[in-house]
Amino acid sequence: MAAAAVQGGRSGGSGGCSGAGGASNCGTGSGRSGLLDKRQGLTVLPRLIVNSWPQVICPPQPPKVLELQWKIDDKPVKIDKWDGSAVKNSLDDSAKKVLLEKYKYVENFGLIDGRLTICTISCFFAIVALIWDYMHPFPESKPVLALCVISYFVMMGILTIYTSYKEKSIFLVAHRKDPTGMDPDDIWQLSSSLKRFDDKYTLKLTFISGRTKQQREAEFTKSIAKFFDHSGTLVMDAYEPEISRLHDSLAIERKIK
Amino acid sequence: MVRAGAVGAHLPASGLDIFGDLKKMNKRQLYYQVLNFAMIVSSALMIWKGLIVLTGSESPIVVVLSMEPAFHRGDLLFLTNFREDPIRAGEIVVFKVEGRDIPIVHRVIKVHEKDNGDIKFLTKGDNNEVDDRGLYKEGQNWLEKKDVVGRARGFLPYVGMVTIIMNDYPKFKYALLAVMGAYVLLKRES
Repeated sequence: MAAAAVQGGRSGGSGGCSGAGGASNCGTGSGRSGLLDKRQGLTVLPRLIVNSWPQVICPPQPPKVLELQWKIDDKPVKIDKWDGSAVKNSLDDSAKKVLLEKYKYVENFGLIDGRLTICTISCFFAIVALIWDYMHPFPESKPVLALCVISYFVMMGILTIYTSYKEKSIFLVAHRKDPTGMDPDDIWQLSSSLKRFDDKYTLKLTFISGRTKQQREAEFTKSIAKFFDHSGTLVMDAYEPEISRLHDSLAIERKIK
Repeated sequence: MVRAGAVGAHLPASGLDIFGDLKKMNKRQLYYQVLNFAMIVSSALMIWKGLIVLTGSESPIVVVLSMEPAFHRGDLLFLTNFREDPIRAGEIVVFKVEGRDIPIVHRVIKVHEKDNGDIKFLTKGDNNEVDDRGLYKEGQNWLEKKDVVGRARGFLPYVGMVTIIMNDYPKFKYALLAVMGAYVLLKRES
């Protein structure tokens, strides 16, 4: 009976979460409630009573199978464990998901958009050169061609500088909106590195305070063997606490200051 | 605790998931994959156009088909075509005959030059018995500056065999390009 109440509490908790959050996606995220409720323990029962009434507003969730494992897009992430870039990409994506979904930060696409713009402009020069040369065969098209070629290589140079110095290895820039709405957003940046044929994965979290513009960093270096099982599936239960620990270590420092 | 089903669409027997990377991407990453492919193609194109501008020749790198014993089939020739360079007997030039697509690499054996710089010249392949008048257009006995694609400046042996193979077996060329293109489009860059 206690198990049934706990189960009811879990589904009630998720209904309450999505109802009270104000967003109208009632259909999402029932899988995630398991992880949150593990921490809340015995407060589940009173929650059942408090939270069951939003189910009138939100149609009740169909009973979902208990999924204690954190999943990305509801499917376990399985990759070829010997492929270094696939490993790094899946670890990066999972870290991104943790920050965006668990802490509800908003992703800022500025860096990525900058890179895409530079690449698009370069391709545009190439296309112009191609079409112009096709319409006015070679000797007459020389000045335009020369201009396009030089511009293209200049853009390539700019792209290289941009990815090396501005983007570095940052793959996520997330903003936390200030709840009072008065201060500028706090910025969280994630960057990672995994050397070729090495198993040590370094994840660095940077916190830039919106108000004081101070920057703090925390990082961990662990073997990828700690996060993947032998078949190449990423075990979120082992990975997610690491990220949360990094995040909390930076968040707590802020409170003390 | 029931796990959700297997990830994505696998090719049943091999377990190969070629679209796996693509499925996990959002719009920006997909656009970047396409851009990556476009940039590789553009870089090759820009290097070629850059060479055209630098050397002044419309086809600065050609593959030699027959000029034994100086060049062998499959050698790569590097050409320039500067207007100020005079064409003298004994030099190797690459020229195009009107009506034919393939440029010919032969040696200049006779030159007539006017005071204002106009040139008429005759060519012959080192390995041929007779001069090239049989190759020229009907009624044409001499070549002029405008037929010249470039003068040979340097060469790389054997590298051109790849181009010859790709031209002789076009299916091989398309297959190779398709595989390379698919690899760049489907594999995610880290």
